[in-house]
This record gives sequence, structure tokens and C-alpha cells, in this order.
Amino acid sequence: MQFWALIVDSLRESLDRKIFWILVGLTLLITLSMLGVGFDGEEVTLFFGMWSTESDRFNPLSDIGRANLVGFVVYLLANTMMGWIGVTLMIIATAGAFPAFTERGALDVVLAKPINRARLFLYKYFATMVFVVLQGTLFFVLTFLVMWLRWGVWAPGYLLSIVFLVLLFSYLYCVSVLVAVKTRSAVAAILLTLLAWVLFALIHQAPNVFETFPELKKRRTVYAAARVLSWIPPKTGDFVYLAASWSQAGTSIDSFPYFDLDAVTDLERARQVEEQELAKNQFYSIGSSLLFEIVVVLLAMWTFARKDY
Amino acid sequence: MVGITEMTNWAVDLIDVHKTYGKTIHALRGVNIQVGRGEIFGLLGPNGAGKTTLVKIMMTVVRPTHALGTLLGRPMGHRGKLARTGYLPEDHRFPGYLTGAQLLDYYAALGKVPRSRRKANAARLLDRVGMSEWATTRIDKYSKGMLQRLGIAQALMNDPELIVLDEPTDGLDPVGRRDVRELLLELKSAGKTVFLNSHLLSELEMICDRVAILVDGLVARQGTLNELTEETVEYRIAFSGDAGVIQEKVEALGVSLGANVITVSGHDTGKVNAMIDLLRAAGLSIESVQPHRFSLEDILVQVLADQSATPVARPMHP
Repeated sequence: MQFWALIVDSLRESLDRKIFWILVGLTLLITLSMLGVGFDGEEVTLFFGMWSTESDRFNPLSDIGRANLVGFVVYLLANTMMGWIGVTLMIIATAGAFPAFTERGALDVVLAKPINRARLFLYKYFATMVFVVLQGTLFFVLTFLVMWLRWGVWAPGYLLSIVFLVLLFSYLYCVSVLVAVKTRSAVAAILLTLLAWVLFALIHQAPNVFETFPELKKRRTVYAAARVLSWIPPKTGDFVYLAASWSQAGTSIDSFPYFDLDAVTDLERARQVEEQELAKNQFYSIGSSLLFEIVVVLLAMWTFARKDY
Repeated sequence: MVGITEMTNWAVDLIDVHKTYGKTIHALRGVNIQVGRGEIFGLLGPNGAGKTTLVKIMMTVVRPTHALGTLLGRPMGHRGKLARTGYLPEDHRFPGYLTGAQLLDYYAALGKVPRSRRKANAARLLDRVGMSEWATTRIDKYSKGMLQRLGIAQALMNDPELIVLDEPTDGLDPVGRRDVRELLLELKSAGKTVFLNSHLLSELEMICDRVAILVDGLVARQGTLNELTEETVEYRIAFSGDAGVIQEKVEALGVSLGANVITVSGHDTGKVNAMIDLLRAAGLSIESVQPHRFSLEDILVQVLADQSATPVARPMHP
């Protein structure tokens, strides 16, 4: 009953935020744009048939065409719209949730209810993610339906992207919440979370720098330290690889989508393959990221539970 | 530390409550307060006395440095008893995106009130606090007085045995304050216990059965209004004529003489009669003899003047 009350409250809070509706608008715009794209054999039509061109790369009747279409949606639309723009907007939209919740005078009534603080914290933490679940579900279900019903590409694994998006968001949201319970400042939560996101990506990519420059790799201790360090932060960059990997699952689409193969250098391709391999090791990617999240959430929960309001 | 103490029949039994912020700020220095079931209890004191801190400790919002005691017969923080307690904090802030009815439902759900009771209680209480017409209006459109009325309604959503109200009439106009007083008396007649923290002494005086005066983190006085005012009664004897003829004799008896008014402190009727005899012997005309009972405000001022506030012993029985 208490968890449900917090979920309903978070839902109402989400619907009250302008950013929620901006994201819904962007999702609908993308869906409409996708609807405007059609395929007829090797002919691709854009803007509901107003413009057409021939291309065998996106022929949904071929395996490579379907792979490229899914790749286009996952790598370009989902990763950009949800993975970058969406998550950034979601961080901004949800950063105020805990500062508002823990505001003097706001939390008093809630803390006086028959619920212990640790549970209250966790309930609120998960309830706030209703924002992301709603946005993710809307985006991925609508784009899935367009791929299936308009383009004829059946990729049910693509819907798992909702889970990966929520995971990606949660890796960052835990940082936002920790900052929020410590400072009660939404601005601090946003800035430090975005900074953490950049740091996670840099640390995660650090070993690749050694791969790119073999002379650096000779410094074995530094290289080893960079590799060990890269295990710690959440693997925020893996979202797109996990989404792509699962979008192909259970279908005849089994090729890694390179819709711009000519432009991919050997080195770039090697890096992509490595990342793809990493993404395939989903236990490592998700497990280590969740471990990081659990530690940060426990720290935030402890801070929340020990504080006087 | 909140420890398990003896189970008592007090609705509120606070024993040796301490709260220290950092190492130097002693907000509470061993507070003992007892509130009987079914009474309206008032907590008063100057700003910074620790009243709100004490209320927050009772409601588990603030963690005490040390505290023993019970609420509704169970240790403070007992979840089952918190479910039977209603609370209105001072300077509350409610989410502006909710409507009045949604807010009541939300807080009641957090208080584990079954859904079937929530809707009926919300409608009844909104009506009781005069907010029915605003039930579906967003809270960010409410005035301060309306927020206060809504806050009182939310404190009653779980049909509590104990109601803890921190400045409940804050922001209310005189009519609103009278409504709240009537509501509190209704609650009392229904057998509820009301713990009231207010700086409006005249209001406490009108409705409280017992009060405690908190000064500098300690209970300076505690008791029924009669008990507190009994010691502080005085008699005022007004007369006409030349006061100079009795001045020496009056002052020799340790009685205060003002502009044609003699003030005899305490319940000393012997001294009153002696003053009357003195006035008659001097041929002065007595115009009135009036007993004057101190108000809470007088008592508070007196307590504040007495810097040597000492802890009050805990009564043995409710």
C-alpha cells in the first residue's frame, strides 16, 4: 500500500513536469518520422512516399537489411534520443524529486508514518523511476510497433531496451540521489551526476586508449590499473550494445549492423567489435554496474536514515 | 537512545529526553513530560526553547541523543502506535501538484489506512474543516489558511488516538482559530488525546487541561492550569484617599502599594484582612477587593524572569 502510494505520487509528480511532456513530444515526433519511411523491395520512400530512392542496404526482406534497420533504430534513434538526450532530460527532471521530498516541512509528515526510513528511501527511489519507465515504454513500444507493422521487421528483443534504459538511468540516478540527500540541492544533483557520467565514460574507455596507442600499453602497471579501474564505474556506454544485441535475439537477424561499413576504419571496427564482445558479456556489464549502484544507494540510504529533518 | 520503558497508562510519557546538535548546542536537556489519555495538553515556551525539536523527536522526525518514554504505551517510534497518531508539523510543505483530496489519500495510504476508509474519511474531514469545495483544486492554489485546514484534516485521516499539532492555528484568521478550538474540543470529547504546541497562549489557556512550560530545553513548570495559577494568584485592593498615610505600614508588611492599589501576592487571606483593617483604621475608603489569577502569559513571563529553571519531577500516576 505504501509503495503503491509513492508510485502514484511519483506518477503525478512526473505528469506535472514540463520535461515529461517535452520527451513525449519528441517520442511522438520520432514515431511520426519513422512512420513516414516505407520500403518497397529495394526502394526506400521518405515523408510518406513524397521522396524515394533505391537502396539494398535497408531492404527489410533481407537479413542484412533488417539488421541495418534495427541497427539504425537502436544506434541512431534509441541511443541518441533515449540514451543521451532522454537520460539527460530525465536526470534533470528527476533531480528535484529527493530535494523536494526531503525539504523541511515536507518530509516531517511522511517520517511520522509507520514506515522505517530505509524502506521509505528505497520505495521513493524506485517510485521515482516511474518517470523513466513511462518514457522508455512509450518510446520503445511505439518504435517497435512502427518497425513491425510499417516496416515488417519483427524484433521483440528490442523491447528489452526498456529494461536497459531503466538500468542505464538507475546507474546515474543513484549518484543524483546521493548528492540530493547530502545537499538537498537539485542543481548540485544535476551537475554532479552529469560530471559523473562523463567520468564513468572516460574511466570505462581508458583501456581503449592503451589499445589505440601500443607504446602506452608497454607501461604495464598503468595499463593494469586502468583496466582494474574500468571495472568499477557503471558501464553506461553498454546500453546501446546491450539493446542492439537483444534486438537481434530470437530473430534471423544475426549480423552486427554496420550501415556505414565503408567509413569504418579497421581500428574503429576493432574497437566496436571489442565493445560488442563486452556487451555480450552481460553479466559483467550489468552485474558490475548494479554492484556500483547498490553501494551508492546504500550510502545514500544510510545518509537519509541517519539525518535529522 | 530510545529504550523500552515500563508500559504506562499515559498517552505520552517522555522521560529524560536529550538532544544535542554537534557537541555544543543542547536543544533539550532532560525533558520529562506526561500527558494523560483524553486530555488536551499544551506545550509552551519562548522561541528556541526546544518545543518543535521535542515534537519532532516524538514523531521520529528527529533522532534524540537520549530518550526514554512511551507514546500510547509503547516505546517512541513503535510503528503500530505511529499508525494511531496524527501529526501536523509546523511550516509544513505539501506537494503543490496534488489536489486536497489526493493529498489526504496519499498521506493516509502511507499511514496504512485501508482504501475503503480513506475516501470516506477524506470527504468527512474536508467537510469538517470547510474545504469540501476545494477538494479537487491543486494545493498550489491554496492560501496559507487553507493549507493549515488541510493539514489538520490530514492529521486526522487515520482516526488517531493521539493527535500532535505543532502551531495548528498558524496562518488562520480568528474564525479559523475558533473552528480549530472547537474541533480540538470535539476530539477531546471523543476520547482523543491532543498534544498541542502553540505560541498563542490565550488559545492554550482556553482549551488545555494541562500545560508544560519549556525553557531552554527544560520543563520549567508542568501541571493543570489550576495548579499553575494557584501559586500565582494575587489580591488587588483599590481604595481612595491619601495613600501616603499608610505607606510605611504597608511596606513594612512586605506588601506592594501602587497608585491607590494594594497588591497582596499569593493566597494570603490573613494579609488581605490586615490590609483592609489598616485602610479602615486610616479612614480610607475601600472601593474593591479583587482576587486576580495570573494568565499563562503572566506565568511564562515569570518563569522566563526566573533563570533558574529546574527539571520538574515526573508524576506517579496519570
